[in-house]
Amino acid sequence: MDKLAEQGFCIVPDVLDEYEVRQTKAALLNAVTESERRGLPTYMPGLDPNEANVRVFNLIELDKIFRELILHKTALALVKGLLGEGFLISNFTANIARPGSKSMSIHSDQGIVIPEPWLQPWAMNIIWCLDDVYAENGATRYLPGSHKIEKASELPPEMRSQMKPFEAKAGSIIAMDGRMWHTSGDNVTDTSERALLFGYYTANFIRPQANWNAVLSSETISGLDEGLFDYLGLGPSANIRLTGTLVNQP
Amino acid sequence: MMPLPAPTTDLKEAQSCLTEYGVCIIPDALSKDELARARSAFYREIEKDQKNDDIVKGFALDPDELNQRLWNLLARDHSFVHMAEHPIALALVRHVLGWPALLSNISGNLTVPGSLRGGLHADQIFVPEPWTEDPQGMIVAWCLDDLTEENGATELVPGSHRWNHHPRKEDEKVDMIKVIAGAGSLVAFESRIWHRTGENSSKDKTRALVLPFYTKPIYRSQENWFLTLDEKFIANASDELLTLLAYKSSGLGLVYGRSPQ
Repeated sequence: MDKLAEQGFCIVPDVLDEYEVRQTKAALLNAVTESERRGLPTYMPGLDPNEANVRVFNLIELDKIFRELILHKTALALVKGLLGEGFLISNFTANIARPGSKSMSIHSDQGIVIPEPWLQPWAMNIIWCLDDVYAENGATRYLPGSHKIEKASELPPEMRSQMKPFEAKAGSIIAMDGRMWHTSGDNVTDTSERALLFGYYTANFIRPQANWNAVLSSETISGLDEGLFDYLGLGPSANIRLTGTLVNQP
Repeated sequence: MMPLPAPTTDLKEAQSCLTEYGVCIIPDALSKDELARARSAFYREIEKDQKNDDIVKGFALDPDELNQRLWNLLARDHSFVHMAEHPIALALVRHVLGWPALLSNISGNLTVPGSLRGGLHADQIFVPEPWTEDPQGMIVAWCLDDLTEENGATELVPGSHRWNHHPRKEDEKVDMIKVIAGAGSLVAFESRIWHRTGENSSKDKTRALVLPFYTKPIYRSQENWFLTLDEKFIANASDELLTLLAYKSSGLGLVYGRSPQ
């Protein structure tokens, strides 16, 4: 937790055991097939340069295993530690870098949405590694210390050459501050696939990326437990956050 | 202290007032007919809520149980929909927030004789400080009754948007100005302006306001439209309203690969 606050990320190994990793990977491959069957896009032009990067959206809808993973206690402890108790699940997607997939544009998740200055973490990713992740198979690359960058004008020139890969074993999670500048790596291997799940959480006054009311089926919504229902922001009390006090003068 | 800007029906001038004073007043923004319909709908809905014991009293901003709040206005009468997407309101929204913007909530606020003044606040209270240097929201107050010296006219601090922070405890003694305006007027102020509901010291006058609040699109709305509006409403909504209600999306907000509307 201290590492996450200080260096903008932390890696926790062995959160999932070998069996759980296999189960989750199988569920992900099913989700790819199911997305294709439903005619949902698995490639997003503008986000990735070619179709070797397979994206799966709406994991929450597609399998119970993902509904459990997004609430995993290790993940939530890290989220609460960085964002505080008032957070929402903004999105839960997968990115499978197949051989030949190319790096996307460098960005920070907070920086492309929230106006500068970026002084506090209002967003973060919990990245689930379903394969061993290393530089050659497309590990996420990050710019060390860039979570402290407050304005776009402070970004260094030639960022790519200074970026480092997040290397981790399958079953690890990588927690990353939403202000960290990063990109996916190129997968330059011949055969190694790299599957990552991105649980994206934001402070609860920020509009979630996924409109859960619209993307989840009524069956899924009615089957959600109370905690997940609230963390998806499905209830009637939407943004009622107060950061200041009301000044009452009789 | 900075005075209130003079009322104007010139849209360009109103936009400059919003930049300079943080507030603008536009008289006769509603026609006589529109005003009559909206006013009768408002009081009809208040009565309905009172009868059903649904009336919202003791809201966090109100110090007593007299002030009444009316929620979910879009589903109650078309005259409130008309206000939310009124071309004058949206021209001001575009000037202050850009486009697309979102409708965060739309509520009614009724002061009744004896109701006390509300809590001093700025509407972007959900944005942690330090605030960025531009407003993140704007409210458009539609006056369904005359706002007078004694019936609970909104009190505000013109120019307080330039201080760019939420009022603190020690700011409670700040000098404020009552906004006096005729029924049918529109009073718009951006979300950093310090303000509160005025005290209603009249013997027998109520004061109704309809308050659509707009934000930049990154903020989560205060009303969950997906729960408060039904399919028929959405099917009949204009493109601009659908944008304001977040039914038009691109990039990551797609539903099954396309915009929901």
